[in-house]
Amino acid sequence: MSIGYLLLEVRRATRSTRFLIFTVGFPVVLFLLYVAIFTKGDGAGVGELMISMTAFGALTGAMFAGGRVAAERALGWQRQLRLTPLSGGGYLAAKGLTSMMLAVPAVVLVPLIGGLFEGVSLDAGQWIRVVLGTWLAVIPFALIGLLIGQVGTPDSLQPIMSVTMMVMSLLGGIFIPISTMPAWLLDFAKVLPSYWLAQVGRGAVTSELAAGLGQTVLVLAGWTVVLGLVIVRRYRRDSARV
Amino acid sequence: MTSAGAAVRLSGLRKHYGDVRAVDGVDLVIAPGEVVALLGPNGAGKSTTVDMLLGLTRPDAGTVTVFGSSPQDAVTGGAIGAMLQGGALLDDATVGEVVGMVASLHRAPLPVAEALRRTGIEDLAKRRCNKLSGGQKQRVRFAVALVSDPDLLVLDEPTAAMDVQSRRDFWRAMHGYTDTGRTVLFATHYLEEAENYADRVVLMRDGRIVADGTVAEVTSLVSGRVVRAAIPGVTEASLRPLPGVSEVELRGDRATISSNDSDATLRALLATFPQAHDIEVAAVGLEGAFLSLTTDSTVSGAQR
Repeated sequence: MSIGYLLLEVRRATRSTRFLIFTVGFPVVLFLLYVAIFTKGDGAGVGELMISMTAFGALTGAMFAGGRVAAERALGWQRQLRLTPLSGGGYLAAKGLTSMMLAVPAVVLVPLIGGLFEGVSLDAGQWIRVVLGTWLAVIPFALIGLLIGQVGTPDSLQPIMSVTMMVMSLLGGIFIPISTMPAWLLDFAKVLPSYWLAQVGRGAVTSELAAGLGQTVLVLAGWTVVLGLVIVRRYRRDSARV
Repeated sequence: MTSAGAAVRLSGLRKHYGDVRAVDGVDLVIAPGEVVALLGPNGAGKSTTVDMLLGLTRPDAGTVTVFGSSPQDAVTGGAIGAMLQGGALLDDATVGEVVGMVASLHRAPLPVAEALRRTGIEDLAKRRCNKLSGGQKQRVRFAVALVSDPDLLVLDEPTAAMDVQSRRDFWRAMHGYTDTGRTVLFATHYLEEAENYADRVVLMRDGRIVADGTVAEVTSLVSGRVVRAAIPGVTEASLRPLPGVSEVELRGDRATISSNDSDATLRALLATFPQAHDIEVAAVGLEGAFLSLTTDSTVSGAQR
């Protein structure tokens, strides 16, 4: 791992206006809008919306960074990096950490606005679970983004990314409240890591339909291990080619 | 020269892609301090050889050592700096950021400002990479290759996309580097660059080395001279039977005749075509040697 490389990656990513709009502005605006439309001073409803929008912002931020790998592969930048002492592991670690950094604005801003302006009131442990827990739970999404960047081309990246984000946030219970889902859809939602991502924060604001934290952590850890292995394999195959 | 102290040692190097023998048995030893030009037509195996030298491609057979260690170790130790064909720069980063980041990966890099100064781009440090001209990009790639302060520089077509002035500037910067006794291997299409800047020329064809030596040595492999003349009303068929002629090229009335015995050819030419005028006789240059060694299969027996 190289700090110099990590810093440049984060600087480059935050330079993109698209990034700032989608991962910082969008979840905040949606949160404020949804609260105004769907709740009538109902504290629990606001809490659930806050969790959903925190998860949504974190998910898009984390996935966005990994997608940039596609353009770098097409450019030959990975090839260039292989002529430096940066190892393959160092490269992937820096990419993953960058993705995690880009999830930070959403997990901080949305709960901050929820607590300060929308009257969400939680104890310290619950806030930590919402902010830190959601942030850590986004690790599988950083990896999904990276994997999409590894298999996508600059042309196909956009559609693959959009469809994945749509499926994750709509069917995983982030945009469609799980309380309104029919049983069969709820069963499907549990297959997606986004369901479990939202569950981390959900348990802090409501006990209704909340899964145990232990089970949630296990499922997300499972996703992390499997995705991590696939990415390393893919990277090895990619760099063995030429 | 003992191979143990060699900067680069390739032995029995082979790489096949399906039925294509991209590199088909290359042996090459480069001593520290040599500036070597790697020449050959497209598809001769230059880029594949360079990729194996850098550890980007694994050879099917044979070994590569760079300063006595594997290419990977040499890269990790910062001993190799390379400028790849169309090597990438990050569009959304500045020149200073890219060079600085690569410097931060190395253990004992040059100061970034020094690398930019040596490559003549200190005024571009704050410029985004997507706002650079082709020639400027090449110089940024040169700075990236140089910033680890390597002992061996490998350059694949370094001056492609450069105009005449930038090409001259590039080679001036390069001289500053080779004067300090570093080793350079460069592949190029510009034969005058090989003629002007290389101590040694290695000519590849069909995955093999067909000639290796100083420019004078390689040129001398191809005997003969070129006779040029304006001959009104001449045909190719009437020139071919003249003594010593190996090749004829006719453009309008201008004939270019390659000959193994230019004296005999010229006497016969003047006897047969008294109307011939504007006659020139010249030695075969590197370009002639290049064409002859890389296209005519009968000459390849003259290797080394």
